[in-house]
Amino acid sequence: MMVDPIAARMWLFRGVFVLLVSIFAFFRLLPLDSAPGALPGPDLMLALTFAWVLRRPGYVPAVIIVGVFLVCDLIFHRPPGLWALLMLLGSEFLRARQDLSRGMPFILEWTLVTGVIVAMVTANHLVLALLVVDRPPLGLSVLRGFFTTLIYPLVVGVSYLVFDVRKASPEEVTALGARL
Amino acid sequence: MAQDRNTQIDYTSPVRRILIGLMGLFCVALLLLWRIDSPRVELFRAALVDKLVPSYEWASVPIHRLAGMVEDFQSYQRIWDQNRELRRELQQMKAWKEAAVQLEQQNAKLLALNNVQLDPKLTSVSGVVIADSGSPFRQSLLLNIGRNDGIVDGWATMDGLGLVGRISGVGRSTSRVLLLTDSASRIPITLQPSGQRAILTGDNSSAPPIDFLENADLVRPGDQVVTSGDGGVFPAGLLVGQVTQGRDRRLRVRLSADYERLEFLRVLRSHRAEVINDTGGLIVPSQQVPPPVPPPVPLTDATPGETGLAAGGDDG
Repeated sequence: MMVDPIAARMWLFRGVFVLLVSIFAFFRLLPLDSAPGALPGPDLMLALTFAWVLRRPGYVPAVIIVGVFLVCDLIFHRPPGLWALLMLLGSEFLRARQDLSRGMPFILEWTLVTGVIVAMVTANHLVLALLVVDRPPLGLSVLRGFFTTLIYPLVVGVSYLVFDVRKASPEEVTALGARL
Repeated sequence: MAQDRNTQIDYTSPVRRILIGLMGLFCVALLLLWRIDSPRVELFRAALVDKLVPSYEWASVPIHRLAGMVEDFQSYQRIWDQNRELRRELQQMKAWKEAAVQLEQQNAKLLALNNVQLDPKLTSVSGVVIADSGSPFRQSLLLNIGRNDGIVDGWATMDGLGLVGRISGVGRSTSRVLLLTDSASRIPITLQPSGQRAILTGDNSSAPPIDFLENADLVRPGDQVVTSGDGGVFPAGLLVGQVTQGRDRRLRVRLSADYERLEFLRVLRSHRAEVINDTGGLIVPSQQVPPPVPPPVPLTDATPGETGLAAGGDDG
C-alpha cells in the first residue's frame, strides 16, 4: 500500500507538535527555580499552537490540542479543562480565519494573535472569578501574555527555518485534492 | 475535482463542528465537575501526575545537574563577592561558636557538679564564685560558701573539669580559693603513665611548672597529671591537667580547669588521711594469759624420757 507522502508528513508533524509541547512541559516541570518572585516565561506552547494553526492547520487538529492541553492542565495544577477549552476556542477562531490570513502581512497576523491571547487571558480570569476559584495574580498573567506575544515572531521564524512550517501556497493540495 | 472538494467539505464540516462542540462541552463539564467535586478530580490528577512525571526523571536528573554546573560556573565569576560574603559569615559564625563553646562548658560544669561520681568519702559542696581577686601577685577567688557550710582550710576545689586550687582562708559564709597558678601554691602530683611523683609549683603563669621531677626523660607532653595525695592534704587522683613543654624547654602543666571562666566550683570534703605514726609493734601473746594446761600424760613405758624432760622444763 502506498503511503500518501503529504499525509505521512502531516502525521509526522502531529507527532513533532506533541513532542515539542512535551519538551516545553518538561522544562516547565524542572525544579530549576522554585523560588517565588521570578518573572513568568512566555507560554511557548500557546505560541507554537497558534503559529502552526495559522500555517498548517492540519498539523494541529483540535483533538490533539484539547488532549495535550488537558494533560497540561492536570499536570500544572490548573483548573482542569479551562485552559484547554480556551485553547480550543482560540485555535478554532484562528483556524476559521486561516484562509484570510494567507494573504495577510505578518504584522496583521501578529495583531490578530495578540488579540486572541488578550481575550483568552481575560476569559480565563473572568471564568475563574465566576467560579470563585483562587486566581493567579492578574499582573503575572498579563505579563505572561505579553511575553508570549513578544516570542510569537520568534516561534514563527523557528517553525519556518527548522521545521519548514510555512503558509501553504494555493497550489498545494492533499492527495484527495483538499486544500491544506 | 472542484465538485469532489466541495462534497468533501460539506460532508466533514458538520461532523467536525459537532466534534469540537463535544470537546468544548467535555472541557466545561470537567471544569464544573472539578469545581463541584474537587477531591475526585484531584485524585485523578494526582494519579495522572504520578504516572507521567516520574517518567521524566531519567531526563530531569542530568539536566538538573547541568543547570547546577552552570550555576557553579557562574558562581566562579562572582567568587570575589562570595569570598567577602563568606568572610563576613565566618565572623558571625565565630561569635556563635564562641557562645556555643561557653554554653557547652558551662553545661559540662553543671552536669559534673550535679552527678559527679567520686569516692563516697569525697562528698562536695558547690559554690559560686562571687569575686575574682586575681592580680599579678595573687591568684585567688572568693566563694559564697564558708564555715557555715562546713568548709575547712586546705580542701581541694574543682570546677567540672579539673582541680582549681585549695581553700585557703574560710570566713563565715565565704571562703578564699588559692589557685594552682598562685606563686604560693604547691601541690603534690603524679604524672600518669610513668607514675612519677613531683610537685606542681605555681608561678603566676597560666601553666605552672613541674618541680622535683626525678626523671624527665620518662615524661612526654600530653601525659596526664593528677594529684598524688602525698602529704595528706589532697585526695589522690584528682585531675589536674596535661604536661606541656614551654618555650623554655621546661615541663609545665596545662590545667584542665577552665581558668578563663570559673563560675561554679566544687569544694571536696576530704577527710584527713589516716596516718601511721608508730613503727608497728611485735604481736606477742600477753603474759597474763595462763599457758594451756598440758594434757595428762599417760604413764606408759614407751616414752619415759620425753615426759621427764617436759616435766623438768615446767618446773624450771
